[in-house]
Amino acid sequence: MHHLTKITAYILIIFVAISINFALPRMMPGDPITSLTDDPTTGMPVIMDEDIKEEIRSYYGLDKPISEQYTDYLKDILKCDLGWSIYYNAPVAEVIFERLKWTLLLVGTSTLIYMILGIFLGAVSAWKRGERGDLGLLVSVLSIGSFPSFFLAMLFIILFGVKLDIFPIFGATTPFMEYSSTFDAFKDVLYHLILPASTLVLTSIDGPYLLMRNSMLGVLGEDYIVTARAKGLTEWAILKDHAIKNALLPITTVIAIRMGFMISGAIFVETVFAYPGIGKLLYDAVSFSDYPLLQGAFLIITLIIIAANFIADMTYLYLDPRVKHG
Amino acid sequence: MRGALKSGNVFCKNRIGVTGLGILSVFILTAIFAPFLAPYDPCEMFEPMAPPDSQHVLGTNDIGQDIWSELIYASRISLFIAFTTSIIATFIGTLSGLFSGYYERFGFFVMRVVDLFLALPRLPLIIILAVFMPTSIWNLIIIFVLFGWPITTRIIRSEVLTLRTRPYIDSERMMGAGDLYILGRHILPNIFPLVVVQFVMEARHVILAEAGLSFLGLGDPTSKSWGMMLHYAFEYPTIFISEVWKWWMLPPGLCIVVVILALVFVGFALEEILNPRLRREIV
Amino acid sequence: MNLLKIKALRVYFPTDDGIVKAVDGVDLNIKREEILGLIGETGCGKTVLGMSIMRLIQSTTLTDGEIIYKDRDLLSLSDDEMRKIRGGEIAMVLQNPMTSLNPVIRVGEQIAETIRLHQGLDKKAARKRVIEMLRDVRIPDPEKSVDSYPHQLSGGMQERVMIAMALASDPELIIADEPTKGLDVTVKREIIRLMKEVTAKRSMLFITHDLGAAAEICDNIAVMYAGELLEHASVDSIFSEPLHPYSEGLLNSLPERGLKPIRGISPSLIDTPQGCRFHPRCDYAMEICREKHPEMVKLEDGRAVRCFLYA
Ligand SMILES: Nc1ncnc2c1ncn2[C@@H]1O[C@H](COP(=O)(O)OP(=O)(O)O)[C@@H](O)[C@H]1O
Ligand code: SF4
Ligand SMILES: [Mg+2]
Repeated sequence: MHHLTKITAYILIIFVAISINFALPRMMPGDPITSLTDDPTTGMPVIMDEDIKEEIRSYYGLDKPISEQYTDYLKDILKCDLGWSIYYNAPVAEVIFERLKWTLLLVGTSTLIYMILGIFLGAVSAWKRGERGDLGLLVSVLSIGSFPSFFLAMLFIILFGVKLDIFPIFGATTPFMEYSSTFDAFKDVLYHLILPASTLVLTSIDGPYLLMRNSMLGVLGEDYIVTARAKGLTEWAILKDHAIKNALLPITTVIAIRMGFMISGAIFVETVFAYPGIGKLLYDAVSFSDYPLLQGAFLIITLIIIAANFIADMTYLYLDPRVKHG
Repeated sequence: MRGALKSGNVFCKNRIGVTGLGILSVFILTAIFAPFLAPYDPCEMFEPMAPPDSQHVLGTNDIGQDIWSELIYASRISLFIAFTTSIIATFIGTLSGLFSGYYERFGFFVMRVVDLFLALPRLPLIIILAVFMPTSIWNLIIIFVLFGWPITTRIIRSEVLTLRTRPYIDSERMMGAGDLYILGRHILPNIFPLVVVQFVMEARHVILAEAGLSFLGLGDPTSKSWGMMLHYAFEYPTIFISEVWKWWMLPPGLCIVVVILALVFVGFALEEILNPRLRREIV
Repeated sequence: MNLLKIKALRVYFPTDDGIVKAVDGVDLNIKREEILGLIGETGCGKTVLGMSIMRLIQSTTLTDGEIIYKDRDLLSLSDDEMRKIRGGEIAMVLQNPMTSLNPVIRVGEQIAETIRLHQGLDKKAARKRVIEMLRDVRIPDPEKSVDSYPHQLSGGMQERVMIAMALASDPELIIADEPTKGLDVTVKREIIRLMKEVTAKRSMLFITHDLGAAAEICDNIAVMYAGELLEHASVDSIFSEPLHPYSEGLLNSLPERGLKPIRGISPSLIDTPQGCRFHPRCDYAMEICREKHPEMVKLEDGRAVRCFLYA
């Protein structure tokens, strides 16, 4: 029953996201063509000849009634037809799926690292509450978390890419490189991954760190921690067997949901490092005014986030015995 | 000994808050008195790409504008957007939170809307809205408010729900006190500290979001913020390999970092003081 | 033969509002196989006294005095030495089983933890032992209950789990903190019977504000008020002839003796009253009671009382 409500809710959310995507270009004041043909950065109209305008008009199906446009749009999405990219002159779906693997690699790796590291540091901080180590960690994490990811990314490029020259500063692989072995290829990919992933990790770590620290502080004040101590358990055993799991449970969902939103952060990091993922694609779509591509990328990013949230929501139900055994 | 450590601790936390507040004040004053502090009109053009000298402390950008003046004026834009958004979003969130916590049916309806907003990914939506809406500061503010209020609503509502069950509220009601009287007299003062925390958190969020949007080139080009300065710096072909980043990229970036950090400090100190659970001693 | 000797124990909590003197100069002995009841109103420092024997009080506290257990001062042991005693030779049944059991660990595992730690049994043997223990504390269907989570058990069953946990390492001294609190009458009676049974060859400090329970199970009673002891006597003598006005007041507040509460409220432990701490509420208060603090005096029959009426 509970599952069913949740699933319905998520279907509704997907529906809303798709509808927003449908409505936006059509909702603009005046003729959508006019607003579409304004350059977003300067607000100046872009000179377009009548042919192209006509093409766009029929692309969006603006000559048909709105309900028909909507059903057509839904059908296309079900068929995985996200439209035609103006800039790449290729199907949007194709362009996006080509890039998706890089984003998943980048976001996946960073997520794994920042969550484990953040949770660990948060637990340590709470355990050492009020001591110098706690305050030091707290201030460092809050400070690094205050860096916009694109700014930190730019600083990293200058420091590690240009000044120290130890990491490549753009792309996911070395261009035109012939790999002599899979290991070589792996090394090259890893090498390109380190700076963008570090940026994402450092700018996102404050989330799980603070959540864990707060949750853990609450747990450490609970009576069952006193019980554990009364049994004669060592401090480490108490931390490991009694505190961490209890502190993690209530924050799993929140942490997992942030995981979904990590992909948003990838938009900036990929842009700065010219990492060929879907975030960079979104940026390019904005700067080239490639609206079908932009909407496609938006839709896919949104769907990924919603899917991640859904999984997060569901795992909680299976983790906490109090929920599971009701 | 440990007692001394504890009071030192409290002091230190206050010091974090005080530091944050101090930094914020400097930036707010800079924003207010920008015309007096900036040596030039930020739109005035000089020789482009001039390195720092006595004329231009931070040199000039690719179209010859004085970066130092630009930076000072940009604080106006960034802070204006952040604070205006926060004020409106916190206001809407507080009111809707108050009423939806107090009136159950209304609350149920509002919370479904809130759930929907919170489940939708904020940043991609903001980006796509910013692309399709004509760019102006006010449109940006509208977009940020749109996605800013729901979290405040949720937090305020759950607080009101707990407050509503307090016995003195019941006895007031029994004595014939009106809903508005109870809300204004008893509930609002109790949630006010929470509202302040929310305001600070929201401001922090907007500073970051605005900088991000502007960095992507989606800000208002007629009123440059720090994020927009970074956008132009980033687009400049040799930004990383020449020395210009030192005066063109570093200052606006650091301004963003410092303001966010100040807001985080203030918010953190407020939360520690207000949240008794966090203050509870560990046995 | 004394198993535990508490000498001039003081436990102070520095707080923002001032120093909370939760235990303020307590002398108390527990003999081998003695069951000593510690009674007093809520907030008088019973739990703090019990926990400080186990050294479970947070480290920001100011503690002074001696707690001699078998010739060793617990307060001067190293953390490691103390840890071996804790849960081993001395075990504690903490108040409020509902919050004292870890909600996300199966109860069997929570008991097994102690067994493995102090008796070095392996996982399988420990589990077998846990099932025996659960049977000993009369939890129905132990093979199944061993895998329950705390929230699946009733309050009485949770209390039994707490008792089993304390017994797991076969301790010599048990400190039981309000084990009957919040239970209904029949369950309460069963728990008391169980506790009597399992402490046949052990010593116990039985902390309670339930005088009926104390009367049933204890050999001797210590009465605590505002951080200090006011009377110490055998259970028979204190129930038949309470000496201290506070003890008398406590007894008079029992339902079977007319349900007459002591007037006034228990004092704050930050600013305790001058002179005798009980004087603002005492019907026998004299001039001297307001000025001088009475000492504990030993009477001929071995009782001790802190009151100028007997000085
Ligand atoms: N960690 C602590 N910090 C400050 N005061 C405390 C702490 N623990 C207990 N106290 C205070 O000590 C006094 C005695 O508490 P307690 O021993 O729990 O009473 P009880 O007799 O009901 O068990 C109470 O006033 C309580 O507020
Ligand atoms: S000392 Fe005085 S005030 Fe205190 S209990 Fe005895 S008679 Fe009462
Ligand atoms: Mg107690």
